[in-house]
Amino acid sequence: MSLLYRIQHPRDALVVEGSMPITSLYTVGIAGERFFREIMEQARLFATRCPECDVTYLPPRLYCERCFSQLDEWVEAPATGRVHTYTTVHIDLDGNPLPEPRTIAFVRIDDTDGGIVHYLGKVDPSEVYIGMGVEAVFKKKSERKGSITDIAYFRPV
Amino acid sequence: MSGNRVAVVGAGMTKFVRRAQETAKELAWEAASKALESCEMTLDDIDAVVIGTAPEAFDGVHMNSEYLSDGCGGWGKPVIRGYVGGGTGVFSPIQGWYHVASGLFDTVLVVAEEKMSSCQPHPQGAFLTIFDNFIERPLEPNLLWIFALEMNAYMNRYGLSKRDIATVSVKNKRNAADHPAALLGDPNITVEDVLNSEVLAWPVQRLDVSPVTDGAVALVMCAEHVARRVTDKPIWVEGVGWSLDSAYWTNRDLSYPTYVEEAARMAYDMAGITEPRKQIHIAEPYDPFDYKELHHLEGLLLFDKGEAPRAAADGVTQRDGDLPVCPSGGLLGVGNPIAAAGTMKVAEIFWQLRGEAGARQVPGKPKRGLAQAWGDLMQVGTVIILGA
Repeated sequence: MSLLYRIQHPRDALVVEGSMPITSLYTVGIAGERFFREIMEQARLFATRCPECDVTYLPPRLYCERCFSQLDEWVEAPATGRVHTYTTVHIDLDGNPLPEPRTIAFVRIDDTDGGIVHYLGKVDPSEVYIGMGVEAVFKKKSERKGSITDIAYFRPV
Repeated sequence: MSGNRVAVVGAGMTKFVRRAQETAKELAWEAASKALESCEMTLDDIDAVVIGTAPEAFDGVHMNSEYLSDGCGGWGKPVIRGYVGGGTGVFSPIQGWYHVASGLFDTVLVVAEEKMSSCQPHPQGAFLTIFDNFIERPLEPNLLWIFALEMNAYMNRYGLSKRDIATVSVKNKRNAADHPAALLGDPNITVEDVLNSEVLAWPVQRLDVSPVTDGAVALVMCAEHVARRVTDKPIWVEGVGWSLDSAYWTNRDLSYPTYVEEAARMAYDMAGITEPRKQIHIAEPYDPFDYKELHHLEGLLLFDKGEAPRAAADGVTQRDGDLPVCPSGGLLGVGNPIAAAGTMKVAEIFWQLRGEAGARQVPGKPKRGLAQAWGDLMQVGTVIILGA
């Protein structure tokens, strides 16, 4: 180790700047296309079911990861679930305090073996508990664009 | 031969396409399920999974093998990803081989996937950071620079013309016309088409290069006692080899791929091959660029230095020639989803040695074939030899 002991700022050593100039366009895929279109157009959640393994996947999958069979059985899932676990976030990615703390929950969707990690809204963080019943609040149809944020948040029921 | 005997018993692949709607996982699942179906095995029969995928920037997912694992059949199993850049597609079956040869596992599913279309505006951007940050990146290089410089050095060393090299692109794109999964098969392409295509970085022109591609390929590899049970046509892994040259491409002889020779010698030694030109009946060298097929054939010791172009011109490397080369259609014809492309070559040797290559089948019942890939900082050679 040489200069590193003495430099106060990264640019005190000779440096060059660089970036990796790429962005990505991710297709949501065969199962994702139907899942997100149902959310966007109908404000409904759909799951796929593997009868062999008795597993209901939400978000839905094209194949069962356990037995590898293609999943053709689509079932509508309720937009309700229970808080499996949660956290309240106080700082942003750069470590700055958030204007309002945000509560994030892993919501196990009813009648499925899966769930969604999403914001909780219309609830004081101190009142959230594991096992709490919640429901999805969808944005207005005109604002939905086929994204997981077409669900604005989950709120207590 | 070291370790326990290992056979390839199944193979499957997706179509190679320019832009797949499927997610990377869904592509991997399709190839993996087809490979299992081809040997009437199920995921329950698989002990471990090997995943091959090239730079993560293509799929745009860091820790890409963890992301892909459920599509590759990795749920609840030992899973590993090896990575040697463009050499990965042949290295992954090598990894599958040592998982079984070591005695640790009886059955391994090897899945290679690449979804390059996610990467915008062009996958070239993902390559910028492979260059040295201080010596090369300030010049704003792209990958074509390396190939153009290498191709020019190769042509100059042996007095080759563009026409000598364009025959490879024509052969492979014509061969690919018989491949049901091919992206760029063309039965009518001519040398003139290649010579008249857009100049990208002289001497590299558009039709000298393989395309950006999405796709996945999978193999089932297993120990001898399993192979004997599941098939009467096991294809054995006879030799494997890989080697890295200097990370400084400016410290290499660009007209000859020494790293390929080192990898080939390792594989030949393991397979007990002393005269590769007589003992290798069919070859799938890595052909992302047409001159690379020739370059690699020389590194594989299948032709003398500078002699591969003449052999190609004489028809030796055609499907009905003395040494069929890239009967699949190669990367130039079938397509180049990086890691999947190398594994496609191994699958092609498997199908050819089993006599299952359909319209692509080379005559004369070949008994032994070789697949090779190349990559990393353009300095890795990976070689696998299969025998009936």
